[in-house]
Amino acid sequence: MSFINYSTREINCKIVYYGPGLCGKTTNLQFIYKKTNPEQKGKLISLATESERTLFFDFLPLALGDIKGFKVRFHLYTVPGQVFYAASRKLILKGVDGVVFVADSQIERMDANIESLEDLRINLAEYGYELDRLPFVIQYNKRDLPNIVPVSEMQKILNPDNVPFYEAIASQGIGVFETLKDVGKQVLKELKKNY
Amino acid sequence: MIVICPKCRVKLKIADEKVSPEGTRFKCPKCTTILMVKRPASKIRERQDNLVLVAHGDNSVIEKVSRILEQEGYQVITATNGIDAMVKSLREHPFLALIDVALPKIYGFEVCKRIKERKETSDVKVILITSVYDRSRYRRPPSSIYGADDYIDEPELEERLSEKIRQLLTKEEAPPEKEAPPSPPTEETREKESVQGPVGEKVVEEAEDADIKRARRLVRTILSDIALYNPKQVEEAIERGTFRETFQTQLKEGMKLYQLRIPQEVRQKGDFFNEEIERFIEEKKRNLMK
Repeated sequence: MSFINYSTREINCKIVYYGPGLCGKTTNLQFIYKKTNPEQKGKLISLATESERTLFFDFLPLALGDIKGFKVRFHLYTVPGQVFYAASRKLILKGVDGVVFVADSQIERMDANIESLEDLRINLAEYGYELDRLPFVIQYNKRDLPNIVPVSEMQKILNPDNVPFYEAIASQGIGVFETLKDVGKQVLKELKKNY
Repeated sequence: MIVICPKCRVKLKIADEKVSPEGTRFKCPKCTTILMVKRPASKIRERQDNLVLVAHGDNSVIEKVSRILEQEGYQVITATNGIDAMVKSLREHPFLALIDVALPKIYGFEVCKRIKERKETSDVKVILITSVYDRSRYRRPPSSIYGADDYIDEPELEERLSEKIRQLLTKEEAPPEKEAPPSPPTEETREKESVQGPVGEKVVEEAEDADIKRARRLVRTILSDIALYNPKQVEEAIERGTFRETFQTQLKEGMKLYQLRIPQEVRQKGDFFNEEIERFIEEKKRNLMK
């Protein structure tokens, strides 16, 4: 659920980048951070341990404009991708407004993609959310690698409901903003519906 | 090119670059007839056995690769985007095309696919330039992906490019090997396929019910994550035969998750956790021996 701050007249929305380990969630956020105007963004905070990384930063995209006099601020989060850290992922999902699922296009990570998507559904369900009712975008990342699964096959396996999807090479910024814009649009649409 | 309007017979001069490969519509200035103008089919040029096409979006990489190739005595033509690469491979017919996978305008793997599909260029050898840093993680030969003959990691261009070209040339000179008839899958190959993810999974898993499939997949993901985050340690542990001891903590965590996520009645159907660990170890051993 988006958080409304009446004193600063801001609406804060939470978008979570979800996906298996080392699929490129952090790379997405780093690219967005690098390419966003300094006055539009907050600090990129990375809570990293040796083996897991959680990233967080907030920014204020001016281009999004206001909703009924309230400025909209997006908070982007990533989760630790490793299968072991289910508890951390669940915690980060609390209050989520929109989800980006970053899938690793490599053949040997398809199991991990399926597992992570299922983990996402389970964790959301524990908060009473349904993925089908949330703003949701899938990003097929690492399209520059040689051992990738064709998009048609990934669609069949990961996206049977045909939610918006983007091919990406996050390390080069390809598809990164397209993904963010789409989920952002969906979140704003939901906001307008509810307020 | 010169085009004659079929209605009023006026001759029209049209710049080649205005005509797209699929054809472009023009209006005759005299009689206003709409003409669909296509380029004349090009004659198939013989393959240039000393010519290499280098296609990359980054000029510094093009320069670096060109330098290596010229030192080896090859002639080099270059392209900075997918369209240019496609056009030049058709017009110049090089014997080899080095193509960056993430080319602007048309992705490199798409260019590769089209080069291999067109009869004019199907004999062009293609090496894809990719940004892979850990080759040990890949099991699928590049020839099975978009028809490329080989691929090379960008950081290894200087070190391995000449060797890769030599290998391709040697392969071409050698008489083609007869394909052996497919043998029925043995237990071993079936096992191997099942660890390779959805592409090869079907054989074994069609017979298993969805719950078992899910249980096995969870364990494979746990093991895949261990290998992904600790590639060196896994390799060393497999070599020493101490995988279970080295990753005792992670496997214990994995077991906890397995017990949490997989219902007891499914777990009772078999020891999927340990079976998958054994498969993983065997698979890694096989890869290390290659």
